[in-house]
Amino acid sequence: MKDNIEVSRFLPLKTVLDYDVFNNGFNGWMVIMPNFCNDGFEQSPSILSKDQWPPCMLSTATFRYPGSNGSMSGQYSLKISTRPVCNPYCQIPAPGSLGHGIKRISFFRKDREFLQFETWFAYTAEQDVCDSEGELPGLHESSVRSFGFGFDIQEGGRRYFAGARYLNSVDGKLQKKWQIIWPTAKDDNEWAYGTDGDWCVKGVDPFWYGKRFPDGRHQAFIDVQDGGQDLCYNETDCKLNWQYFRLKINTKNREYLELQCQDKIMDLGHHPIYSVDPYDRIDGLLNPLAWVENDANRRSFLYLDSVVISQE
Amino acid sequence: MRLFNASHLEIKKYFSEDFQTNPYEAGWASECIFFIHVEDIKDVTSDPVLTARVQISHDGVHWCDEGTVSENFGTEGLHFLRVREFGNWLRLDVHVSGASFKLNIQIACKE
Repeated sequence: MKDNIEVSRFLPLKTVLDYDVFNNGFNGWMVIMPNFCNDGFEQSPSILSKDQWPPCMLSTATFRYPGSNGSMSGQYSLKISTRPVCNPYCQIPAPGSLGHGIKRISFFRKDREFLQFETWFAYTAEQDVCDSEGELPGLHESSVRSFGFGFDIQEGGRRYFAGARYLNSVDGKLQKKWQIIWPTAKDDNEWAYGTDGDWCVKGVDPFWYGKRFPDGRHQAFIDVQDGGQDLCYNETDCKLNWQYFRLKINTKNREYLELQCQDKIMDLGHHPIYSVDPYDRIDGLLNPLAWVENDANRRSFLYLDSVVISQE
Repeated sequence: MRLFNASHLEIKKYFSEDFQTNPYEAGWASECIFFIHVEDIKDVTSDPVLTARVQISHDGVHWCDEGTVSENFGTEGLHFLRVREFGNWLRLDVHVSGASFKLNIQIACKE
């Protein structure tokens, strides 16, 4: 009975592949690592160093003044977080300014068309210093640059990333809008900040790659039509509100269908999902993932209470 | 079944100065082991010294010594510190001198 009541706050498709309540443990969610598969377990040379991305934690969201926030389903949530470092928006992200969590599963049925990511989440910046300026000193809202949820997929011989991010702040200026992954760099070189021969090809790892521009544009994302939304970010960062996110895509036609946050539903207009040639040995890969990025030299925390991945 | 998890705090990075590990929330666990794997020691200028002390915090921002302190880990190989009754937040305060140490630091928690 209790399970039924909990599931009623999700809108899953017919087949639930994954129902993770982080009060029960990590459920296989973990940090993404560099591939330590060169001689001596060294990583391949790249302009991207993932080795400073902090590990996922089971968090009580414990701060100085309230004590523990707990989670929506119990006392623990999955925390994806950053280190207190940040580069300006248009520069290559500082090592550790981005945090990432991923789970690795695979496709289950051939006769599938839709795939959906749902989560109840919360976010805040670290309660380290009180800002002394601005309308709401101490709020820290502009310290979180962005966060997002989506998939790393390879099926039918094509590899693709599909996801949505909430672009919250660009160099301290609030943006508060939803965007979907859609790489617009002209080639692999531009995707890798002007680097030739980087292992990463255009379209892969869009949270990190792709040139960024001062007005918030990013070669990895495009704005969702009518995608502006004020999320719930309380007057102090020790008050967390759990909020609902849902992204529905079509894996048959490889296109975006629908995005929902809180009670706002955004039609994604069947926008295509960009795909690249397959990687060896990973067909059928289905990896739900989430990430968060700093917009200041302060840790950002993205908390996931629970996740449902479903298909139909 | 007991809950166990291991996470990295640093990977294959050279350190030649004192540092603190990134704060880690471990309130769910009653036992913790910090593994410090010294993969390489280079640029030796004097006796290589690496010592670590466990620190705890009520908010992840302010820290004090918990009391657990390592011996000198200034040799290649795997070393560890063990800690219990730490509340939620944990980190290591690491002192390094005499060389550059290539470290893997892992936090292993169990309930």
